[in-house]
Amino acid sequence: MRFINIFTTLLITFAICGCHRYEAYENDAYGNFDALWQTVDSRYCFFDDKEVDWESVYGEYRARIHPEMTVNEFFDLLSDMLLTLRDGHVNLVAPFNQSYYRAWWTDYPQDFDLRTLQQYYLDFDYRTTGGIIYKILDNDIGYIYYPSFSYTVGEGNLDYILSWFKDCRSLIIDVRDNGGGNMTNINTFVARFIHTQTLGGYIRHKTGPGHNDFSEPYPILYDPAPQTRVHWQRPVAVLTNRSTFSAANDFVSVMKSLPGVKIIGAKTGGGAGLPFTYELPIGWSVRLSTAPVSDAQDKSIERGIDPSEGFECHAPAERLAQGHDDILDFALRYLSSLER
Amino acid sequence: MWRNKILAILLALPSIAFSFNEEAPDSLSEVSRHVTQIYNLEAGGVRILDTYLSPLYYSGYSLALSGVWTKALPAHNPRRLTMRFDASLRADFTDNPGRTASMYALEADFSWGLARRWKLPYGLQLTAGGFAGVEAGVIYLPRNGNNPASALASFDIAATASLSRVIPLGKVPVLLSENLSIPSFSLFFSPQYGEPYYEIYLGNHSGLIHAGWWGNHFGIDNLIAADMDFGSTALRIGYHFRVRSSFVCQTNISRTSHAFVIGVIPHGLGLKPKPSPKTININALY
Repeated sequence: MRFINIFTTLLITFAICGCHRYEAYENDAYGNFDALWQTVDSRYCFFDDKEVDWESVYGEYRARIHPEMTVNEFFDLLSDMLLTLRDGHVNLVAPFNQSYYRAWWTDYPQDFDLRTLQQYYLDFDYRTTGGIIYKILDNDIGYIYYPSFSYTVGEGNLDYILSWFKDCRSLIIDVRDNGGGNMTNINTFVARFIHTQTLGGYIRHKTGPGHNDFSEPYPILYDPAPQTRVHWQRPVAVLTNRSTFSAANDFVSVMKSLPGVKIIGAKTGGGAGLPFTYELPIGWSVRLSTAPVSDAQDKSIERGIDPSEGFECHAPAERLAQGHDDILDFALRYLSSLER
Repeated sequence: MWRNKILAILLALPSIAFSFNEEAPDSLSEVSRHVTQIYNLEAGGVRILDTYLSPLYYSGYSLALSGVWTKALPAHNPRRLTMRFDASLRADFTDNPGRTASMYALEADFSWGLARRWKLPYGLQLTAGGFAGVEAGVIYLPRNGNNPASALASFDIAATASLSRVIPLGKVPVLLSENLSIPSFSLFFSPQYGEPYYEIYLGNHSGLIHAGWWGNHFGIDNLIAADMDFGSTALRIGYHFRVRSSFVCQTNISRTSHAFVIGVIPHGLGLKPKPSPKTININALY
């Protein structure tokens, strides 16, 4: 009998202990609205940076829900609410549409045209590997166009490319219109341009649902590639525009801190929060910036990175249409002016 | 205070199990302590919540293969203890409530334990003991970008108990058993609330291992089984209720499954009379 009593007590204890807090939402308009608002409230990492009063957003947008709303109208309402974050990493994804804050790049000149580059500078004659376009331009200047960090670059790819440029005096890495991708590709690239372990920036993560519940900054250290790999020790120009975003933005941040590297072009687009994906009861997904990355001085790069001092320039659309990429021309002039 | 008392009781369970007087050793010259092997296939429903990946419960079906190997201990008095090794592999296939995304889980566990057994009135057998085990796995949600997977890993010390009785079903002896095990003290892995695995990849390994008890890492395994001994082999049918739940770093992970179990026990359970009266089979069943 005593054993049964103990056993019963234990079972009751288990039942009590096993009840962990879980917030469930109804799958109706208000439930989905609250789920989205709460997810953003607890997970989003740039409230202070963006100076968004998320509490007032709740009242303003929730009041717009009405019983006659169609699914499309409801999607638009939620999308409009997310637009207040002014973040290119924030999307609401439904089977019929995807919300996207575009103003981070549409409000700025594009400063790049791939057709102009390929036709007037590469003569439609270039090498390609691992998603990278590369060619030796006039004056023995190596040129790399890397359109996306989603393309995984292998160590062998980089060995081939840098070996191809072995007689070049300098190198251009063009990351204009590079919207980001896999952050581990940054390591692969940067490792070829450093000789010792290098601090590239810091990363934080949310430790709780409060707007300022962040971990201590954790340093992002880059190790040089092994000696058996091809390294680059000559001048480098990194070309940027406003559509240089996310992982490409982080790459520019690291490269800017290296000696012998100049950032040439326009301010980048930012996007310095590693995005996570969550869901609403209706089944739509929402993507949010959740883990902020800062530069080597631990300054926010969410709003973009300025070119190196004295190296800001633009490539106007009318000049691009005439076959002149003024940012690339600027870089070629600068690198040609350097002594071998 | 009451929690401490319960913890103390649970800690003491294995030692209580070993402290009872031994039964008299068997007088016959030959005692067989063979390894009883049980191989199970489980199929049933499962619900999974992992708020690192999604705030929604996913539900679907689960398949599992498991094996149990038991042996009577010690050699000079084999009616006293049983030693047991368990291994299992589970795969879950689930969808979110809106059926717009699928989530998968794969988990393996291995455990080893000892239990003391007592003969009770009315042919009942009670066992109680503990085991140590490891569980490892992953939950995978392909729709997610930078948080597509959640790793599962834990080392558990668990309390276990069973109650069983043999009843005849015609000429077939059937062992009915209720088996319960409850992980009680654990070390388990969990990233921080919003910590990306990229940061762990960079080398930030602090705060990933957590001490678990019922309040933050609760689990229960309940197996109700009927083992029909046909002599040369035995057949198991049963029901397995399994819960694993953790709440740490504001992250809620929960997996609940209900599964139908069908199993086979090669060489049987030894419940049928043997032709040689000189040999006593000591089975190590929970």
